[in-house]
Amino acid sequence: MEEPILRYEKIDFLGEGQFATVYKARDVKTDKIVAVKKIKIGSRVEAQDGINRTALREIKLLQELQHINLIGLLDVFGQKSNVSLVFDFMDTDLEIIVKDNNIVLTPANVKAYMIMTLKGLEYLHQNWILHRDLKPNNLLINREGILKIGDFGLAKAFGSPTRINTHQVVTRWYRSPELLFGARQYGTGVDMWAIGCILAELLLRVPFLPGESDLDQLSRIFQVFGTPNEETWPGMKNLTDYVQFKIFPPQQLRHIFSAAGDDLIQLMESLLALYPPSRCDCTQALQMPYFSNKPAPSIGSKLPMPSNLSKIETDKPSLKRKLLESIDGGSLAKRLQF
Amino acid sequence: MMPGRIGNLPIANENPLGLSWHDSAWIPLLSPSNIMDYFSERSNPFFDRTCNNEIVKMQRLSMDQLQNMTGLEYILLHVQDPILYVIRKQHRHSPTQAIPLADYYIIAGIVYQAPDLASVLNSRLLSAVHHLQCSFEETMSYSRYHPSKGYWWDFKATKPGPSPYNTGQSSSKDVSSTPKEEPSTLFQRQRVDMLLAELVRQFPLPVTQAPSQANGVTVKTENSNEKSNDKAADGNINNITIKQEPVDPSSSDMTNGGLQGHTEIKTEIKQENMKPPPEKKPRL
Repeated sequence: MEEPILRYEKIDFLGEGQFATVYKARDVKTDKIVAVKKIKIGSRVEAQDGINRTALREIKLLQELQHINLIGLLDVFGQKSNVSLVFDFMDTDLEIIVKDNNIVLTPANVKAYMIMTLKGLEYLHQNWILHRDLKPNNLLINREGILKIGDFGLAKAFGSPTRINTHQVVTRWYRSPELLFGARQYGTGVDMWAIGCILAELLLRVPFLPGESDLDQLSRIFQVFGTPNEETWPGMKNLTDYVQFKIFPPQQLRHIFSAAGDDLIQLMESLLALYPPSRCDCTQALQMPYFSNKPAPSIGSKLPMPSNLSKIETDKPSLKRKLLESIDGGSLAKRLQF
Repeated sequence: MMPGRIGNLPIANENPLGLSWHDSAWIPLLSPSNIMDYFSERSNPFFDRTCNNEIVKMQRLSMDQLQNMTGLEYILLHVQDPILYVIRKQHRHSPTQAIPLADYYIIAGIVYQAPDLASVLNSRLLSAVHHLQCSFEETMSYSRYHPSKGYWWDFKATKPGPSPYNTGQSSSKDVSSTPKEEPSTLFQRQRVDMLLAELVRQFPLPVTQAPSQANGVTVKTENSNEKSNDKAADGNINNITIKQEPVDPSSSDMTNGGLQGHTEIKTEIKQENMKPPPEKKPRL
C-alpha cells in the first residue's frame, strides 16, 4: 500500500481525454477489474486550482456515497504530481444499448433500468446531492446487468435556500424547462426531468427532445406538453431567461408512446411535469403502480448486452468513449462547461 | 393479461365476440401490406397496444425482431386478397414456438373476432335447447285432462290466452306478413337463381321433372299460406296452420323468412308431436 501504483496492474488503455487518461487495470489485492482514471495535472489554467474541478467533485462526493446503483470510487491515490481515481469497471452504458438496433428493449428491461436508476438517484437525493448531468451515457452497466450512475463531475449539494446555482447544467436534451428559463434555484426536479427524458428514450430508441439550441429545446418541450401559462406554472414569468412562446396545445403521451401501458404513461407524466413542484421525486416514483404491476423487471443476467461487447472489450472498450466524453466534454455542443 | 391498462376496462369486460370494429376511412385502401397497420389502429378494441408488434414499432426496429421476442404478438395468418384477411393473436415462447390465442377476421374492412369452438357449441346448444323447451311448453298447452276421460289433445279450442304462445302466434301473423312484403335483394335473388341453375346443371333432365312439380306445389302452398294467414285474422289460426304445414313444412319455412324463426320452428315441432294422437291422422 505504500506504493499504490503497484496495487493496480495495467491491463489495457481505455482512453485519453483533456483532463485524464483511463486505464483498465487489475487490483492485485482483490483481483478485481477496475477502471483507473489518472487525472492530468493541468499545465495551464487548471494548475492554478491545483486539481481539475470535476475530479475534485467526484473525489469529494463519491467518497461518502455507497450505493449499489452509484459508481463506486474504490480508491484515490497520488503518484508524483498525478492524482488517480479508481472506479468500478463498467462494461457498457445505456446510450450504447439504446443505440444498438439488434437489441429489443422489452417492457421488463425498461422497468429494470428505471428501478436501478431511481434507486441510485433516490439515495443521492436523500443525501442532498443533485447529479445534474443525467443522460443515458452516464448510466453505466456492467456484465451482471447492474446499472450504476456515473460521472459526478457536475454533482453538487443542494437545498440551501440562499445558494445560487448555475443553470448551465445537464446536457441540453435532458435539461428541464426551469433550467432552460434560467432558474438559479432548483431542486431534485432537474434530475427527475432528465430521468423522464431517459425513460422516453428507452421507449423510442431515439432522443425524445433533441433540441438544437436552448430555445429550440423549450419549443420542442412545449410542442409535446403544451405551452405553460401563469395558471399551470405560477411564477414562470419571473424566471431570468423567460421568453413568451407560441401557444402549443398539449399532446397525448399515449399517442407518442403507443406501446406503453397506462401505468407507464402515468409515471412519465409525473416525471415530465412542466411545473417543477408537481414533478414527483424518486421515492414517489418508485411507489407508483408501474413498478408493482406486471411485467416484473428483468433480472440482471437477462438484461441485454451490446452484441459486439466481447469483441469491443479486447480492443476498444465502450467505457473508453464514455470516459473520454465525460472528461474532455466530448459532448461540448450539448453541454456547457462552467 | 393487461395489468398496464387502466382505462380500457369496459372494453375488456365486454364480450369480444359481440363486437365489430371498422374505420371507414381505411376501408377502400386496405391491402395485404397495410392490413396490420389498420388492425393496430388505436381505436381497434381487439388490438392490445402493449403487444410486441407495437413495442418494436415504437422502438423503430425491424419487424423481424418479433421472432426473437417472447410474449404477445399479432401475425397476418391468411389473405384472400380483395376482401378477407385473418389475423392471429398469439403468445410467442421461442422463435419456433407460439401458442395461438385468438383469430380475427377482417371481411370487407370490418374486424370481428372469430369465435372459439366452445362459444359456437354453447350458443348452438343453447338455442336448440331453448327451442325445444318452447315446443314442449307449447305442446303442454294443448293437452287436456279429465278424470273420466284421461288425457287428450285439444287443438280446436281458441284459447283466449292462457299460453304465452298464443299471443306469440297472433303477433307472428303480423310479423309474417311484413317479411313477405319485404323483397329479397337483387343479390339474394341472383344468388338463388345461380344456385338453382347450378343444381339443374348437376342433376339434369329425368330427375328434374318430379322436383319441378314439387316446386309448383310449393308456390301454391305459399299462396294458400297467405290466404290462410288472411283468414287467420279471424282467430282460427291453429287449425289452418296445421293443415298447411304437413303439405310442405319447408316451404312455409322459406316463405316466412328469418324474422319468424322462433314461432316457425315451434309449429314444426308441434306437428311432429301431433302425429301420435290417432284422431288427427284421418284429417290429413
